[in-house]
Amino acid sequence: MPDAHLLTVNFPALLASSIHDMKNSLATVRALIAQLKGTCPEPPAREFEQLEFEANRMNNSLMQLLILYKIDSFSFNLSIDEHAVTDVFNEVIAQQSSLLSLSNIELTSDCSEDLFCYCDMTLIVNALSTLVNNAQRYCRRQILLTASRDNDYMVFCIEDDGPGYPESFISSDAKQTTQIDLATGSTGLGLIFVATIAKMHANGDNRGLIKIDNDSRLGGARFRLYLP
Amino acid sequence: MTLNLELKKILLVEDNPTMRKAIMEMLYMLHAQHIVETNNGIGAVAALTQDQFDIVLCDYNLGPGKNGQQVLEEARFNKLLPVGAVFIMVTAEQNQSMVLGAMDSRPDEYLIKPFNSQQLLNRLERSCARKHFFEDIARAADQGDLSSAIHYCEQRLGQDHKNMRMPLLKMRAELAIDTGDYATARQIYLDVLEQRDLPWARQGLGIIAFLEKNHEQAIDVFQQVLNQNPMMLETYDWLAKAQEAAGENLEALDTTHSAVDLSPQAILRQKKLALLADKTENTAIAEKAYKAAIKLGRHSIHKSSSDYSGLAKVYLKTNATAEALRVVEELHQQFTDDPEAELRAAALATEAYQKMGDAALTRQAYEKMLELNRQFGNRIAKELRLEIATVCRLNEDHQASDRILDELVKSYVDDPEFMSDIKKMCATFNNSDYAKKLIQRTRQEVIEIHNQGVRLFKEGKLNDALALFEQALAKMPDNKTMLLNMAKVMIYDIKANGSTREKILRTEAAIKKTRQSGIAHDKITELQMALAKITRPQSTSHQS
Repeated sequence: MPDAHLLTVNFPALLASSIHDMKNSLATVRALIAQLKGTCPEPPAREFEQLEFEANRMNNSLMQLLILYKIDSFSFNLSIDEHAVTDVFNEVIAQQSSLLSLSNIELTSDCSEDLFCYCDMTLIVNALSTLVNNAQRYCRRQILLTASRDNDYMVFCIEDDGPGYPESFISSDAKQTTQIDLATGSTGLGLIFVATIAKMHANGDNRGLIKIDNDSRLGGARFRLYLP
Repeated sequence: MTLNLELKKILLVEDNPTMRKAIMEMLYMLHAQHIVETNNGIGAVAALTQDQFDIVLCDYNLGPGKNGQQVLEEARFNKLLPVGAVFIMVTAEQNQSMVLGAMDSRPDEYLIKPFNSQQLLNRLERSCARKHFFEDIARAADQGDLSSAIHYCEQRLGQDHKNMRMPLLKMRAELAIDTGDYATARQIYLDVLEQRDLPWARQGLGIIAFLEKNHEQAIDVFQQVLNQNPMMLETYDWLAKAQEAAGENLEALDTTHSAVDLSPQAILRQKKLALLADKTENTAIAEKAYKAAIKLGRHSIHKSSSDYSGLAKVYLKTNATAEALRVVEELHQQFTDDPEAELRAAALATEAYQKMGDAALTRQAYEKMLELNRQFGNRIAKELRLEIATVCRLNEDHQASDRILDELVKSYVDDPEFMSDIKKMCATFNNSDYAKKLIQRTRQEVIEIHNQGVRLFKEGKLNDALALFEQALAKMPDNKTMLLNMAKVMIYDIKANGSTREKILRTEAAIKKTRQSGIAHDKITELQMALAKITRPQSTSHQS
């Protein structure tokens, strides 16, 4: 029988503090990459793009794990305020800016200046960035970011021109994305994160939610985030 | 809007050389030209003292020495930042910005690492635009001119600034609270809540309930807010205040303890916890909190000899005399040329040696304390003076003790809480009668002077009234009734007999004294608004 008390510390807490440490290291790595790119006479674009992309992905995952840990241990709440949707989009585009400048993918956003919504801006920017990041892996050339009002909800919509989600994924309903598939390396972390953040946004009886389908105007996948 | 960084003076505080270089390059890429960089907190404070910056980018975690929060606290405390300056705290994760929720100083923005140049520019643009939008309101409020601040605020609300609407409403409500206009503040919070259940608006309603002394209702509201938002540290502080006011000291201790667990770095909250633990005689928590406050104080503007003294007293109470003396020794080393600290040390040493039964050393420490008290007694905090009176009494020196009590009662007779402290102290020496009579007699005296002053005032003899109050204040330097009367008569004098530069200056000085004496905030605001009204003819158009 394995000794259940071999570990003398609380494992989730250890994991969280280690993630925190890794995040700091990663920040230094990213700063170094940026510096190298500046000093390199002819930076190999392809490799730098890959480096940036992977570092960005790692950072997003670590950040999501940390926030989910805090939510799980009841030491997190949203900071809800009223924000202009254009501000939210500008942040998302800024976060992806160095990456997009390296690739040949076009990220466009379209929304009216006078759309406002109540949300935790930092979290929603992170959630949308995760989704854009994901779209970047599968799209061919284009990602479209839009927002519109649907009754009591603000709907953020991310569409791409890739092959779309696999049929099994769509039919399995977003709720079951918690199935972790170690074999394929698809942890579903990003989706769990976005779905959790959506659910935490509540107004009266309405709660945020996500919808996934292949009805993109660009012919690929469409992800919609509904916030009350 | 596009932000022109060319004209901005920027201070960058970051200990990690790679990160510092990366951020410097981003700033240059954004056309910044005037950048001062430093890798530690002391350097940051020195730079802020020397120069006026428009933008401060400060990492929270700066290695050994001051951290970013301590830099910010010192900058705000010593007013090193111009009103229009933007202070951005760079933190490692989002949760950290919640946990940092300090008791007094807040940065304008938190920026979470890592970020690229576009994100940095976005954030700088947003916060500079916002700061600029609020600049005249903030400047007026900073100068204590709340009526102008309210005027600017109303003006902005009348225009259609949709993206600034919420912060404007929040500011307007807070200004209303500061001027005692609770009805306006309540209406704003209710209107906001009608649209959305936002925790700050709910908390605002709780604050109004607290200020109107509906303590139970305030406690209810704050608890509801915390149920939904367990990381709203400010709400814990309000809840503890309301619980304390309702006499629920044990609950207040629990509440503050929870907040300290979430955010152990906030020194003022640790101090508050220590005081509550003292009050409820929980020596274990008091010891821990005082130790934490001492440790956090090492690099903080809030470093104080009272924390050392608090810890030493906990040890004296638990008969750990050796530990108490060790703390006194540390106090000596940490504070040189600080009369208050020396007085504390001498008072504590007297008590400790007395406990140990060493008559010679007790005598020596006691003489030193008396000498220091003779020199500096009128310049130190009232609580410490009461402690000294206690030590005198413990050493059977009734004359010295009574003299201090006499002075304290004269100055602070209008402070019921402190008077009850004095009564409590006298009761421990079976001397309740002395305190009661002294307080009664002094109160009578104050009433007589007050009535006489009012009579002179009604007869139009303003100068005689002023002279009377001045005379009284010589005897009872911090007496609130006299200070308030004095300021009121001065304001009336300007109204009735016209204003001169000299009159305005002396009135402003008088109002400043009322503030230092700890008179209720709204009463001071009332004075300030009255003075502003007569000295600054209402400008009919504030065009911006």
